[in-house]
Amino acid sequence: LCFSHGFDAEEDLVGKLASMSTNERIKAIQKMPETMRKKREIRNKVLKEITKKSRHRGAQCTQGAAVSFRRFGNTLSEYFQQLQPWHKTLKIIGAEFGTSVLSYFVFLKWLLNLNIFSFLINFGFITIPQFLAAEPNNLSFTGLELFTGAGYFQQTVLYYGFYTNATISKVENGPSYNMQLAYIFTVGIYFVISFLILLFSMARLFSRNFVNSQTFSVNASKLLSTWDFNITNEKAVKLQQKNLLIQIKEGLTEVNKEVRNFSVKERVGHIAAHLLAWVVSLATAVAACAGVYFLSINNLELFMKGYSNDLQRQTAMLVLPVIVSLLNTLIPFFFSWLGHLEKFQTPGQHIYVTIIRNIILKISIVGILCYYWLNIVATSESQCWETLVGQDIYRLVLVDFIFCLLGSFFGEFLRRIIGTTVCMSLGLPEFDIGRNVLDLIYAQTLTWIGILFSPLLPGIQMIAFLIVFFVKKVSLMRNCQPPRKVWRTAQMTTSFIFLLFCPSFLGVLCVIGVTVWRLKPSEECGPFRGLPSMYASVDEWMQILESYTVSKWVVWIYRNLISSELFFFILSTVVL
Amino acid sequence: GSAQGSGAMGGSASLIPRDLLGEYQELTFLSKQEILLAYKRFSELLPKEERENACSTRVPKSQILTLPELRANPFQQRICHVFSTSETEDDSMSFEDFLDMLSVFSDSATSDIKSYYAFRIFDFDNDGILDRKDLEQLVNCLTGQGEGSRLSSEEMEQLIQNILEESDIDKDGTINLAEFQHVVSRSPDF
Repeated sequence: LCFSHGFDAEEDLVGKLASMSTNERIKAIQKMPETMRKKREIRNKVLKEITKKSRHRGAQCTQGAAVSFRRFGNTLSEYFQQLQPWHKTLKIIGAEFGTSVLSYFVFLKWLLNLNIFSFLINFGFITIPQFLAAEPNNLSFTGLELFTGAGYFQQTVLYYGFYTNATISKVENGPSYNMQLAYIFTVGIYFVISFLILLFSMARLFSRNFVNSQTFSVNASKLLSTWDFNITNEKAVKLQQKNLLIQIKEGLTEVNKEVRNFSVKERVGHIAAHLLAWVVSLATAVAACAGVYFLSINNLELFMKGYSNDLQRQTAMLVLPVIVSLLNTLIPFFFSWLGHLEKFQTPGQHIYVTIIRNIILKISIVGILCYYWLNIVATSESQCWETLVGQDIYRLVLVDFIFCLLGSFFGEFLRRIIGTTVCMSLGLPEFDIGRNVLDLIYAQTLTWIGILFSPLLPGIQMIAFLIVFFVKKVSLMRNCQPPRKVWRTAQMTTSFIFLLFCPSFLGVLCVIGVTVWRLKPSEECGPFRGLPSMYASVDEWMQILESYTVSKWVVWIYRNLISSELFFFILSTVVL
Repeated sequence: GSAQGSGAMGGSASLIPRDLLGEYQELTFLSKQEILLAYKRFSELLPKEERENACSTRVPKSQILTLPELRANPFQQRICHVFSTSETEDDSMSFEDFLDMLSVFSDSATSDIKSYYAFRIFDFDNDGILDRKDLEQLVNCLTGQGEGSRLSSEEMEQLIQNILEESDIDKDGTINLAEFQHVVSRSPDF
């Protein structure tokens, strides 16, 4: 649309608008950068034009109906918006702290929605039918179960072991519900849906935000677009101005600096320092993994032999999760201290390197735990290894949640007290976005792994995320100051979802795949008892289906597509 | 970014006639709740006797600048000037100007319209292009003034040189609307 002035141009505009559909016309008028008076004039002219045309066709009553229908649709979508919880809270956070801190909370809300979705699916399709065929629970309930997940909880729907392998039917010769198939299909379809959701989110964010990646140097688009108009707090505005000034000055001196010819000795020194730091961090990660591995094997032996006291046994089970959470909390501080020792060229590099090292640490810990569960616990002589794994994951999730709250308490609340009373030079703490996001991704990874062994785990994680949201929000408002660096928010959001997808979700898919295809389910508990593998239930079902001629095409699809490796190869190429 | 404030939606639905409300919804990017909230905030800026006629009264600039969203904004003067349709050039705003402003800053506005108005806000001398003086004033606004925290004149020169090198496509020493919109469209953070 051309906005030049002049009577003829306006006539053309009116004519063009009159020929559009109502929705398009409204959007086009909204997009015009004119004052409201001018827009109203044009709109009235267009409406006159339209009524002139439609008088010939007498289509006025349908127009009236269309208008009221559209108004109704608008009201409906507005009510939906109001229903969104925390809309106001998120706006306030964005106004005080900027869009980068806001992106953490938006990510947390997204993960919360994902967990609500998985909890509803699991509860609806697996747990509710199980309630109908439940066996009575003979164990007694002591309060300690909330922490250890064992004891009373062992015989409840919380864990895999409780679910029956029978076909449930309430009415004689009535519709029956095959628990085995329900279990495996619910979990399978949930993962497929999550996969698609993650894939689409990533594709959408990538196409929007990574069209061209800019360097950190001062350039026009950075200057013209980094003003975060969201911020309304006066102190925050002054802070943002100061930061922008510092960044501009830094950027200019960078460009000005002649490329210093480092002497060979200096360059070798720098590279050696980097290499040494990497070796030390990888060694730390390996040491942490080895510690976790031996501790868990020890734990398993003691568990099998049995303690004299049941209470002792239960509390001893908490040692492993506490050690894992301690490692996850303390080693990142070590890494960032290490990063201070090295001389990086820009502070941005320091942050990225520290984040990568933290990711490697967390991935290796989760990896070693999965190895332990799938190779050691699954082949041990315990009665119901899936329930054991479920309990381990439950404890890990719970202790991680407690440590998250503690971290908020120490990292933000105490730090503020220290920074304002004892050691004035420190000042208020900043909200550490990188560390908090990695914590969220770690918690979500554990939940995904645990879905197969403990179907109600997303519900627990959902409650945990709710509490974390409130605690972090209150802590942020009271204790923290707005971030000093101007983060590049759009890229950050994309990186979060990418991190969630790539190591986390794909890793979980591998673990679940190995469990379903290769491992032998326990003999005495769970929906797949007695079968050679969990997948065998689908095989059996396919054989049953083959006997009905109606469903032969299902069997054909199964035999030729899903069972063949070629299909998966093509699928992965398409995805990539 | 958005310039919405917090506050409950009151019973002000009866104060704007329904067809006018519908018209505002069609002409701006705001939803019905947002328009009613804006009405409430706008009428609070007026003295009590004039609140009945809020739709047709003009609010002087000094009152508009007391809004918390604008109070700390370094571009407050320019924003008032750009959105005001006052014939006496005193930058007073009517309710419709106010809605225009909120509409452009709302989340649902297209980036084209945001960049158009950003260009006009940054154009300090209102000549339709961003020349060196405009850019200098822009940088000063962004980095805050006073307290000895300005850029030196060499740094300013170099910064403006960098900006022009990158955005000035026809190399005439100034940035026009099309070049501005092109530069801004490459940054997803805008």
